[in-house]
Amino acid sequence: MNTPKRAAFFRAEGVLVSRGVLAATAYYAANAHKFGERALRLGLVALSAPLQGLLGQNDRTLANRLAFLAARRMSEDRLAELGEEYAEDILKDKILDRGVELIKRARAEGHRIVLLSDNISEVMEPLLPHLPKIDDLVCNRLEIVDGEATGKLLDPVVGSHGDGRWAQGYADRQGIDLRACTAYGSHGTDLLLLAAVGKPCAVNPDFTLRRSAREADWPVIEYQE
Amino acid sequence: MRLSIRESYAGKHVLLTGASGFLGKVWLTQMLHNDSGTGKFYILLRRKATRPAAARFERIVNTSPCFKPLHEKHGRDLARFLSERIEVVDGDISLPGLGLDPETSARLGRDIDLVVNCAGLVDFDPDLRDALTTNVDGTIHVADFVEGCEKAALLHISTCYVAGTRNGRNGEVLVPDYAPNGEAFDAAAELASARVRIAEIEAEFETQEKADEITAEAKAQLVKRGRSPDNAKLVATLVRRIKRDTLKNAMIEEGQERAQRWGWTNIYTYSKSLAESVLAPRTERLRFSLLRPAIVESALAYPFPGWNQGFNTCGPLSYMLGGWLRELPLRKGIPFDIVPVDYVGNGMTIAGAALLNGQHEQVYQCGTSDKNPLAIDRACDLTALAHRKHLRRKGDTVVDRLILARWDGVEAEIDHTLSVPNLRKVTKGVAKVMRDLPSRWPKMVHRGAKKVADKVDKIDDNLDTIERLIDLYLPFIYENHFIFSTDNLLKYDVVEEAFRFDPTALDWRTYWINVHIPGLRKWCYPLFEGRTPEQYRPRHKFVLDGENAPAETPAAAPAHGGSR
Repeated sequence: MNTPKRAAFFRAEGVLVSRGVLAATAYYAANAHKFGERALRLGLVALSAPLQGLLGQNDRTLANRLAFLAARRMSEDRLAELGEEYAEDILKDKILDRGVELIKRARAEGHRIVLLSDNISEVMEPLLPHLPKIDDLVCNRLEIVDGEATGKLLDPVVGSHGDGRWAQGYADRQGIDLRACTAYGSHGTDLLLLAAVGKPCAVNPDFTLRRSAREADWPVIEYQE
Repeated sequence: MRLSIRESYAGKHVLLTGASGFLGKVWLTQMLHNDSGTGKFYILLRRKATRPAAARFERIVNTSPCFKPLHEKHGRDLARFLSERIEVVDGDISLPGLGLDPETSARLGRDIDLVVNCAGLVDFDPDLRDALTTNVDGTIHVADFVEGCEKAALLHISTCYVAGTRNGRNGEVLVPDYAPNGEAFDAAAELASARVRIAEIEAEFETQEKADEITAEAKAQLVKRGRSPDNAKLVATLVRRIKRDTLKNAMIEEGQERAQRWGWTNIYTYSKSLAESVLAPRTERLRFSLLRPAIVESALAYPFPGWNQGFNTCGPLSYMLGGWLRELPLRKGIPFDIVPVDYVGNGMTIAGAALLNGQHEQVYQCGTSDKNPLAIDRACDLTALAHRKHLRRKGDTVVDRLILARWDGVEAEIDHTLSVPNLRKVTKGVAKVMRDLPSRWPKMVHRGAKKVADKVDKIDDNLDTIERLIDLYLPFIYENHFIFSTDNLLKYDVVEEAFRFDPTALDWRTYWINVHIPGLRKWCYPLFEGRTPEQYRPRHKFVLDGENAPAETPAAAPAHGGSR
């Protein structure tokens, strides 16, 4: 069978799962090795929360970077174990059924499924077995030095306006025609991604995306947990 | 250097001592399971009271989970398979000539190509007499036997920690008359001096003065327990027990003093190093290699992931971290040289093959600190994560699931506020206050205070045990920075994949969280709690046949020596 020459891009947060990055970073912070660390890290997450709200409508690069500072100096082992735990115990139950249906439908239509997530690989990879088959997962990666996270997200940070450019590059590499592709986004950050494909769709959009979707006459889907 | 295990062992006969121990069993079954091609294994086992060696072997095969892969592979045919490849020999390494009868000794002397001496007492601080008998005399007897053989070589299992309290990189060399503190040392003189001292201590316990002292102690204990000190039978029983225990303690103390004087961490490493020193002068007349494993722990894959046996190094430490002890003295960055038992089994196989081929080195070290080090603080973090994983889902109580699961054990300095000695100061203080309440206070209050004091005493007893355990492990987790070179094992390009030794392939996170700690939880923690670990019952019971079958009339036999 030939590889499908069409792809469907899904933003995980808001389209497929109802929990964002902050919930994951708060989980990491609350389960750090020592009690003192936990308090400090939770403080950092609390500080980054308003920024997520303010910047989340637009480019979330800075907000994501700040949120994952809470994982600074956390061991690679703990990141992996807690990520697995968070995916299994919390995120799995926050998977949106309608989002899963959208993936299945896209697959049935012969699309290659690409999942973009602001979250880190330690959280998203353990979630994959609970989702329909995903061909490519694109998520953030923490820089690890000597077995510990530096707190820095490696470039390119997913959740920025660069996602649209990334989708273009991806399409070029895979020989995919973006005009035949679908994208499902939920935040203002996804504007360029949605604009890059032939069939954009706003799912549970935030204020910025809702306004743009209305102006561009993109379909809007609303659903909840 | 190319090395084929099957070619090396093809048709060769091996005598194995210590086959009832953790490492011995894994190695033996690994060799059998992976079709090493070995001609015959002669298993030297000592009788135990009424049970002859062959019956002991049958029992081991029928109860040890280590034999599970062989049972599953051969089913009903296991008896035939083993009978063709194994002969169980009644013997005892603590006796000259290995306690073999002359006919067997002569036959083995002609047939054996390789002797693998796995027997050893592995307790950290045992009675000095036992340590010397099993670890030193046993080695001497095995070496003497091998020298008397027509063609046999010797693979002697030692430990990396013979290095003692010597920090840094420890090479694979056999230093005659080695002492870790660098002072001039004469192993033979030390051994002779230790024996003289043992005799002196034993003699001290035979004096009238000591007998009076012990009798007085026994009577005092009886009075304390509310029993009559005039009951001669009771006094005699208690005297025997006190004498035995105090003599043993005196021997342990003597051993510890000797070990520490020369720079060894404990009696075990002291006696194993002495054994190496008694082998060193034999290099001209004896073809031998030493294999020094580091801390041998749960199997990664063979006989199955997580297999472990008995008390070991990680067991008590990780067990403590799974309870209410949260601050363990650990020094960040110290390599914790853990090596899975099946890795060590492969290391033994390689070293044995090299010996059979004449491609051997004098010393092989088998650990991970050189090529894939695991720092002690990482081990602590992984232990906490493994406990967390277990307790969150399978904790016995709500407290386990909600509090212990989220309260990680952490590394701390020795003098940390919540260190065990500091906690003991609190328990002792509380007990004292409860017992010294003013006499004018109501009786009811005194009764309550006494109950509290008794409970606190129990806590203090537990803390005392923990404190002694921590002291035992401090050289490995806090005081010394050991790295053991493993270049000699890694120089061989082993043809058969099943026998390769590759410490770099070990993924510590997966091993620790999914294999090692669950293995300890299943096979070792029950022992700490006075429970029996899960028993193995094969579908088809194994019975030795032919000349291997146990004798009809069991005979009594001396009991000495242990196995790894």
